[in-house]
Amino acid sequence: MTISANVKYTKDHEWVRMDGDIATFGITDHAQEALGDIVFVELPEVGREVEAGEAYAVVESVKAVSDVYAPVAGEVIEVNEELEGEPEKVNTDAFGAGWIAKVKVIGDGPVELMTDDEYNTFLEE
Amino acid sequence: MRFLPHTDTDRSAMLESIGVSGIADLFSDIPDVFHLERGQLDIAEALSEAGIVRKFTKASEKNRNATNTRYFLGGGTYHHFVPAVVDYVISRGEFLTAYTPYQPEIAQGTLQALFEFQTMIARLTGMDVSNASMYEAATATAEAALMARRVSRKKRVVMAGSVNPRYRSVTANYLSRLDGEYEEVDMGCFGTDLDKVIAAIDAQTACVIVQYPDFYGSVYDLAPLREACDANQCLMVVAFSDVSAFALIESPGAMGADIAVGSGQSLGIPMAFGGPHLGLFTCKQKYLRQMPGRVCGLTKDADGKRGFVLTLSTREQHIRREKATSNICTNQGLMCTAAATYMTLMGDAGLSTVARHSAAALQLLVSQLPDHVTALEGAHYNETVLSFVDHQARQRFMAAAQADDIFAGIPLERFDVGQADLGEAGPSAENRHLLVATTEMIEEADIHDYLRVLEVSL
Amino acid sequence: MSVSDMNDTAFKYSATNGIQHEEALLFEHAHDAAESIHLPGVKGDMPNALAVFARQNPAGIPGLSEPETVRHFVRLSQWNHGIETGFYPLGSCTMKYNPRVNEQVARLPGLAHIHPDQPEETVQGALELLYEVQQWLGEVSGFPHVTLQPAAGAHGELTGLMMIRACLDARGETERRTVLVPDSAHGTNPASAALCGMHTVELKSGPDGRIDLDVLKAHLNDGTAALMMTNPNTAGAFESDVKEICQLVHDAGGLVYGDGANLNALVGVARPGDMGIDCLHINVHKTFATPHGGGGPGAGPVAVNETLAPYMPVPRIVKDADAYALQGNVGTSVGSVLGSIGQSGVYMRANAYISAFGREHLHKIAQDAVLNANYILHRLKDAYHVPFDGVCKHECLLTDEIQNRHGVKTLDIAKQLIDLGFHPMTVYFPLIVHGAMLIEPTETESRETLDNFCDAMLEIAAQCEAGDTDALHEAPVKPFRRRLDETQAARKPVLVWPA
Repeated sequence: MTISANVKYTKDHEWVRMDGDIATFGITDHAQEALGDIVFVELPEVGREVEAGEAYAVVESVKAVSDVYAPVAGEVIEVNEELEGEPEKVNTDAFGAGWIAKVKVIGDGPVELMTDDEYNTFLEE
Repeated sequence: MRFLPHTDTDRSAMLESIGVSGIADLFSDIPDVFHLERGQLDIAEALSEAGIVRKFTKASEKNRNATNTRYFLGGGTYHHFVPAVVDYVISRGEFLTAYTPYQPEIAQGTLQALFEFQTMIARLTGMDVSNASMYEAATATAEAALMARRVSRKKRVVMAGSVNPRYRSVTANYLSRLDGEYEEVDMGCFGTDLDKVIAAIDAQTACVIVQYPDFYGSVYDLAPLREACDANQCLMVVAFSDVSAFALIESPGAMGADIAVGSGQSLGIPMAFGGPHLGLFTCKQKYLRQMPGRVCGLTKDADGKRGFVLTLSTREQHIRREKATSNICTNQGLMCTAAATYMTLMGDAGLSTVARHSAAALQLLVSQLPDHVTALEGAHYNETVLSFVDHQARQRFMAAAQADDIFAGIPLERFDVGQADLGEAGPSAENRHLLVATTEMIEEADIHDYLRVLEVSL
Repeated sequence: MSVSDMNDTAFKYSATNGIQHEEALLFEHAHDAAESIHLPGVKGDMPNALAVFARQNPAGIPGLSEPETVRHFVRLSQWNHGIETGFYPLGSCTMKYNPRVNEQVARLPGLAHIHPDQPEETVQGALELLYEVQQWLGEVSGFPHVTLQPAAGAHGELTGLMMIRACLDARGETERRTVLVPDSAHGTNPASAALCGMHTVELKSGPDGRIDLDVLKAHLNDGTAALMMTNPNTAGAFESDVKEICQLVHDAGGLVYGDGANLNALVGVARPGDMGIDCLHINVHKTFATPHGGGGPGAGPVAVNETLAPYMPVPRIVKDADAYALQGNVGTSVGSVLGSIGQSGVYMRANAYISAFGREHLHKIAQDAVLNANYILHRLKDAYHVPFDGVCKHECLLTDEIQNRHGVKTLDIAKQLIDLGFHPMTVYFPLIVHGAMLIEPTETESRETLDNFCDAMLEIAAQCEAGDTDALHEAPVKPFRRRLDETQAARKPVLVWPA
């Protein structure tokens, strides 16, 4: 299992990478491991506004289904359409090619986020 | 008791092995007050196997049945021919007494039959995908409305007045506890005015549900409805009650349906006094993940050999619980095997013969009606409404027909069809209509008898 | 060679398949049919008015000759395990022997070939049998009224909750929309509640796997519509506090829904209706021995007390003097939940089943079912972890905790059972324990079968202890197909064969 140093984490095992006012969302390597083989990712519609902590996507494995929550509020400007044909990218590259959505950050502050070290400690607990 | 293998010696030995003194000890967690005394229940005394056969034969003989009479009864249930092979296949213990195929390695028979069923149903209805059955047509229609609400993220459901009143009533019932408007559109006399349905569609409409051929047997073009649906991003749901029609007329898929649902009872399943029948559920590929019910999919095994599994189960209640696409669990699995066997025996040629004969019988009947009885205008497949001058005339005819071993049709009022649906008002108009259906089980001689009774009874 | 040489212990249990035929899909067999099936009817062309709607391209249904069709489906059938082939100890599914005479009588022409809308005076025999089984189901479950309309268990749940909601609405309690569901419940419970416009709150089970009265009390309030309880529960334990539980819910203004999936433990011995439960669905395809058919059809009649009787669906089967009739309009009814009176053919079989036992023998169903489950529990309790102590009812719950130490999971045990000639038990349910194995033998299994199954389970446990686990991960190797790739099936769903 890997933990990326370049992103922030939520307690629900999502990650967010900030680049100016653009945030990229995904689920962590730990999350994909726990879910097992991902078979489907239900992507949000571009243009949808999501609150921090709101479920914006759904990740499905063969026998489990999990809501994915937005770490920060924003408007969805792009989704990873490659996941429609190759959801396994979430398994193979959770922090890279397995990203889920990009949002333009607006409104309220983020939910409580952790650094990679903090997330690692959180996982150990 | 012949279904129980244990002798009393076995029971004693097992109890001893468990370490209890008697069977009562195994029920000691049930408070005493709830224990029944033996023989206390008001249930008949036990019958031998011979006694059971005698009892059921006696009851069976009190009924009049389709094997030695002529049935012109439809309304969602049809007396089509059932080949002996169909019943043989579904009587095999390996199909009959298997559970839902959750252990695919030892259920490939059921699974491949389901895959073949799904494929043939998709082809016959002209749709992309089919599930592995719903209970029957009315609940399938209700589930289609629920699915359209999920797909469109809208809540308003428009129902054509020419849909089978039972499908309407069950759908209205399912929707009545959920948010969102449900509107049934009065389509005028015997429900032919599609413009009224089109007028009811707006931007908030999740779906419009029509029946094709409709409850009164009418066949009409759905292209204008498709356009209206596109203009409002609303799903077109097409219901049907005799799927055999689509071997002869264009399929719901060709008419542009997003979801097509209905009864598959015509595919080798006996009428059986209302069930078990077969609910069909089909849709476009893009809506697949919102489809209710079980589906079987193609895959490979650990050695790379082709095999089948139940798939997309995250849609279902045992995983998604409250958010499941439906609460359906047990479905009509064995009826899928029956329908698959039936379609295989028939092939395109046989299915089309069934449909042609069914339609030709109705055509022969309505083309020779006496003056005082009228049939509906327009194109019909195998079902129509005959209207008599008054209630008494219809009753006289039905009684005379029954005396001649003909079940002439179903009084329309049995379906709680409102007077608005008939485009008529006043007591004189009431209860003079008969819903009449034909299948390939009706011979020319039967039509002649029917017409003769019509002449003499009026 | 003497007879004793042939007394191989391998006969005790093992899976064999005789000759294994590969069988193509129909669509691969297809050839131009030599001759179409000969059908009766009025020969004629398509009526003119219909011609404009004529189907342009044939559907593409293959069409095989009769001998080819029979061989195709018979070969497919041979890849299946059924209750007639072998032991099928699926917990909560009640896979008991389905008597053949029931199949025979349900096919009598006067029962199979009658239309649901032919005049009632011409179907009195069918109505009589349905009415009789309707009354018997009420008698066995302890309720005065029964509706036969729901088509399966989950449909019964929906119907029961509709009635509960209607009853609360009639009391003016339209804010009661919360359904309490124990965490051990069947997944259909929350899904049915959602479909009924209600939401569920999960109750955490107590340390004994039963409903915890304190947890229940803490969740009861003005919003409580109902508690859905399964008794015996899905851990195979009887909820001994059932009377107090019902009282608490009733005092809080709610009603109690009984999930009757596990009624086989109680048949003829005790009745849910006597325990304070307001309504109960019955899985006829479990308790009353109608065949599962590879997934259905079932029937899910709902038995109700007087409180809920006014709300039962229509049409209802009623008896008036000596005639039977269907009653349509009842103002207080929740309406129709199915397009017909119900799965009549299934009820014919259930009637025949109850007839065979009669009031003298009905209790033996529950007695032998519970005896068999406890026998298995007793034989396996040292080799497998038993999460909850005490006697079980008709099914026993084990987990893979001990075998997990050797890297063997419930799934591996299940798949190894296939190679040993048994259908696996229910796995990973209930969710309240990790690695659940829920075993329901039913009353129709002989002691020999139970012993063979237990021997097989003990052999697997011994293999784990010996560290001899490779075969367990590879299993099954004997069936026609080995473990199937469910991931691929779900990632790129192929649900129809391409044209």
